[in-house]
Amino acid sequence: MSAVAAKPAAGGAMNPTAMGVGIVILLILVGACYYIAPFDSRMMVLSVLIGIILGGVLIGFGVHFVPVGGAPAAMGQAPGIATGVAMLAAGGGLAGLFGGAWAAEQGTVVAVVTGGIGGGLMMAITCMMVNFIYVFGMGIPAASGKVKNDPITGDSQAEFKSQGTEGHGLPFISFVGGVIGGLLAGAGGTLIYLMLLDLYKATLPTMMQATETQILPIAISMAGMFAVGMFLVNSVLTAYNITGTIEGPHDPKFKRWPRSVVASAVASALCGVVAILIVVM
Amino acid sequence: MEHIVFGIGITALTGALATVAGAAEDTESNIGSQGDPNSQVQLAPQMGFLHRIFNKAVAGEPPAYGLWCCLGAGLAWALMAMQINAVLAIVLGCILAVFVQGVYATTAYLGRTASLKKFGQPVFVDVLKSMTTVTMAHAFVAIFCTVTLCYLMNAALGHPFPLPLLGLVWGISLGAAGSAVGNPYYGKERQYQNQKFGAGVPISASGNIVRYAEAGERNSLDNGFFTAKLGGPASGVCFGLIVFLELWRTILFEHIAAGWGAIIVGILMILIFTIIDRYIEVWARKTYGPYTKPEEASS
Repeated sequence: MSAVAAKPAAGGAMNPTAMGVGIVILLILVGACYYIAPFDSRMMVLSVLIGIILGGVLIGFGVHFVPVGGAPAAMGQAPGIATGVAMLAAGGGLAGLFGGAWAAEQGTVVAVVTGGIGGGLMMAITCMMVNFIYVFGMGIPAASGKVKNDPITGDSQAEFKSQGTEGHGLPFISFVGGVIGGLLAGAGGTLIYLMLLDLYKATLPTMMQATETQILPIAISMAGMFAVGMFLVNSVLTAYNITGTIEGPHDPKFKRWPRSVVASAVASALCGVVAILIVVM
Repeated sequence: MEHIVFGIGITALTGALATVAGAAEDTESNIGSQGDPNSQVQLAPQMGFLHRIFNKAVAGEPPAYGLWCCLGAGLAWALMAMQINAVLAIVLGCILAVFVQGVYATTAYLGRTASLKKFGQPVFVDVLKSMTTVTMAHAFVAIFCTVTLCYLMNAALGHPFPLPLLGLVWGISLGAAGSAVGNPYYGKERQYQNQKFGAGVPISASGNIVRYAEAGERNSLDNGFFTAKLGGPASGVCFGLIVFLELWRTILFEHIAAGWGAIIVGILMILIFTIIDRYIEVWARKTYGPYTKPEEASS
């Protein structure tokens, strides 16, 4: 058995105790933030923190869908996109954040959906071009190494794997996974940005004794930087959960997502507490 | 109406800049051997295959280009705040960012190659002198185009993000698009040119990269010359499409149905790319056929 095909030893196991501890830490962080915040802004702080946690969970869950092959994919030795998990997810999600931030004035729902579509579009173009280069540049058809038949199209996979490899390119299920991953990651990043932007727009004028128009560039910059930072925190955290490569939603590693969702929630809560308390304390 | 026409013109210009940026980024990363295929450049001496390929995996391409584009955009922004002309400010900012790239490239090559001393891999000073400047030149094109398109998004199209943040966002996206599309072509098609065409590299062949050219030993300029024919332009088309379509759907359709117009157009575009992808996949299966007969295929 090759190193690529080797089954993870303890990596895929769920640890209920650790997940329970994670949830307790999450509740402590939410409670602490609520308690520390001034009395008249507690509800706003709570809703912002919950929005940040939800955004982080969307990113963490979404990254699991993205088919990432890393170095083996660059040699046509494994299916997926030939780059790192965190990097690809960040590329797609930040493209979504760009669109979502632009649509911020049109309301939270429209902006979050716009961010999601932006991320999904980036991933759709990238995945299509990946298959283009494999097929027309290298003469290699797409084949999965993890399933006998594509779960969506039913296409058989085994006979399209070249000798000595675990598959190559992006089978249709991996393409769809990439688009879903981009959608969720883009929406999550945009949600974090919007929550922080609302908070900073409400608190910075009093804090800096300036009008809302004057503080707007600072609010946008701070919210954008924190959103990008939290995006990277969640995507890197999920990359550790995936450990290397993943083909998409049909990959056995995809079942590890509950662990990552709890970890993303805790990490987002911690980052969110910092981002909130710098303006409300 | 004039506003929309102006927006479409800027969108076309940013799309063209993004296409050039993507092509330059991929060629730079291939000459410098920065992406995932660099694992083979690092592995080859350990398997007994000494080579003259540049070796500068500073980081993955997305964070590396996020840093360099953010640095170029940040410096340009600071210079513009000092009332320096925007064109001059962007050029100066990008030149300074490229010097940082050059420092990283030099230290990465020396550090990574020195770590292979126990396997007998020498540090070639002529490789360092001839390749570093070429990667810097390509990096300048990529960073300049990206920072310029970020400036256009901010100043002409009115995106709320400040220039350095746009540089970070689009630098990371540039690296993601360039590495996703360009890496397989450099890794499989160029480094393993001695393997069968139309099949992945067998895992047992890892590290046995092609080290000789038509005359003498192969160097990274040869690799850049090869990948600039397809991998580079394909990466450029990928990044160009991402930037152009993202802006195009927003500029033209965001005012329809309170923002839902741009969303619906985005969904339609995703569906179109899904159909194209499926067509490519089916075309490859029918045209190239399976490697083994279905009944012989092992699970």
